[in-house]
Amino acid sequence: MSQDAFVVTVNIIKMSVIFLLMVQLVPLLVWVERRGSAFIQNRFGPNRVGPLGLLQLLADAVKFAFKEEFVPGKSHKGFFYMAPVIALLPGVLAFGTIPLSIPFTLINEGVSHTFSTQVFDLGIGIVFVLGVSSLGAYALLLAGWGSANKFSLFGALRASAQMISYELALGLSLVGIILCFGTFNFTEMIAAQQAPLNFFFLGQEYTFLSFLPAWGIFYQPLGALLFFVAVFAETNRLPFDLPEAEAELVAGYHTEYGGLKMLMFYIGEYGHMMVASALMATFYFGGYTIPGLTVEGVQEFFSQTLAIESVNLISIFTMLVFHLVLMTKVILFLWIFIWVRWTLPRFRYDQLMDLGWKKMLPWAILNTVLTAVFLLARGV
Amino acid sequence: MISAAVFYGFSAFVIFFSLAVLFSANPIVSALSLAAAMVGVAGVFFALGAHFIAAVQVAVYAGAVMVLFVIVLMLFDLKKEESVSLAYIRFLKIAVVGTILGLLSGAITLSGLDSSTAILAADPASITPTKKLAVLLFDKYLFAFEILGVLLLVIAIGVVSVSRIKGGTHAKS
Repeated sequence: MSQDAFVVTVNIIKMSVIFLLMVQLVPLLVWVERRGSAFIQNRFGPNRVGPLGLLQLLADAVKFAFKEEFVPGKSHKGFFYMAPVIALLPGVLAFGTIPLSIPFTLINEGVSHTFSTQVFDLGIGIVFVLGVSSLGAYALLLAGWGSANKFSLFGALRASAQMISYELALGLSLVGIILCFGTFNFTEMIAAQQAPLNFFFLGQEYTFLSFLPAWGIFYQPLGALLFFVAVFAETNRLPFDLPEAEAELVAGYHTEYGGLKMLMFYIGEYGHMMVASALMATFYFGGYTIPGLTVEGVQEFFSQTLAIESVNLISIFTMLVFHLVLMTKVILFLWIFIWVRWTLPRFRYDQLMDLGWKKMLPWAILNTVLTAVFLLARGV
Repeated sequence: MISAAVFYGFSAFVIFFSLAVLFSANPIVSALSLAAAMVGVAGVFFALGAHFIAAVQVAVYAGAVMVLFVIVLMLFDLKKEESVSLAYIRFLKIAVVGTILGLLSGAITLSGLDSSTAILAADPASITPTKKLAVLLFDKYLFAFEILGVLLLVIAIGVVSVSRIKGGTHAKS
């Protein structure tokens, strides 16, 4: 196989794995969402089908697959079918740029090849993710307009206005962390968060709480808060789920959808949540690393303690350990998404716009300016 | 080989959707085709190694500007526009587009610069990476860059003040 064909094949496999990862997590998240909401609201939730109601997922999947497929009469058929597919794309593309773990090396007959655990390592990772996730608005617009339904159209208009408004605050809240670490690249950003916590002021280094890692959250608490709030709006989750406010709009942009097409919107929404959680972990919580866990340490554990001899296996297992670290963080943030959804009531639309434009945007600008001033005063 | 395939693939994508912008009777299809064409242009930038410009192209043009266009178009009653598909208008469209396309491709051919292969053959390391671009933008071209920013601010304020003169969105007539 030529080099080009090899690279293309590897990338296609990676992309498929990431897509399947997203798709596989969705039923689990739906289960957590339903059980979690029941737990929060003092109900039982789905607990009849299988242990802990886990087989409910299977029943749901079967139900989705076998529902009658229909298209509303006066709809634009092309758009109607296109929208759910486009809803899937931004999440997968954005997830492809996030490093899920350390690279691993496979040696076969003396030829070694290092595989990175992201589909494409871009110098401009953050800008790319912001770019493709902004395309998510099209899925909602196409769905809303293509359904030929007033509720759908209102939902779509609300959604796209909301996404555009909060994208500004989202982008600006990230400027602080980009300034702090001086890079757009995810891998470099994670590498920069390895050192123990340190602060510089006028050329003097101050290390206190040095048992803590230099995670972004300690430098950018305001930025992290603004980012997290803004991604709630970007993912159209409660308290910002105005696009599908069921009390006002039936179900918003996906009123006319059912069966697998509806499920694809769900996967898109959960994919967005996963990207947001992974970004949160990467920017502010050290990505796939935790203090005390080094690559050498994990490799030694597998080679010494567990006495695994194959170099390839050790490399893969080490990669999986770091992947688990990232996934733990991602799942924690996903739980916060669900927790918030069942705790806070919905905003009114004018309140939502006020919050985005008059509160979060100025705070994000303030955060940027303050970060720049402090970086100047650092004197290094 | 692969990069050439990606380049020509995205180019074909851009050409297809650019033509769709012109030839579709439905304004919303036109606007969405324009957005797709912009994504395609970003892909071409990407294939040429200008990653930053590609990402900004997607984030700003396809992700924000075109969404606003589409929102506005979706609020209009488009029945009249959709029904207009008179033969002579279609003929006019094809004639105009064909003439411009012919002139453009003629000009490119006459200029004797086989730009696509020249760029593709260039060393990837010589293509300006993001950092270099930023240094140029904030060092050599700082004044022009800032002036452009001020210009955009003036335009934004001007638009707000003009639209508010007659009562803005709450205008009676």
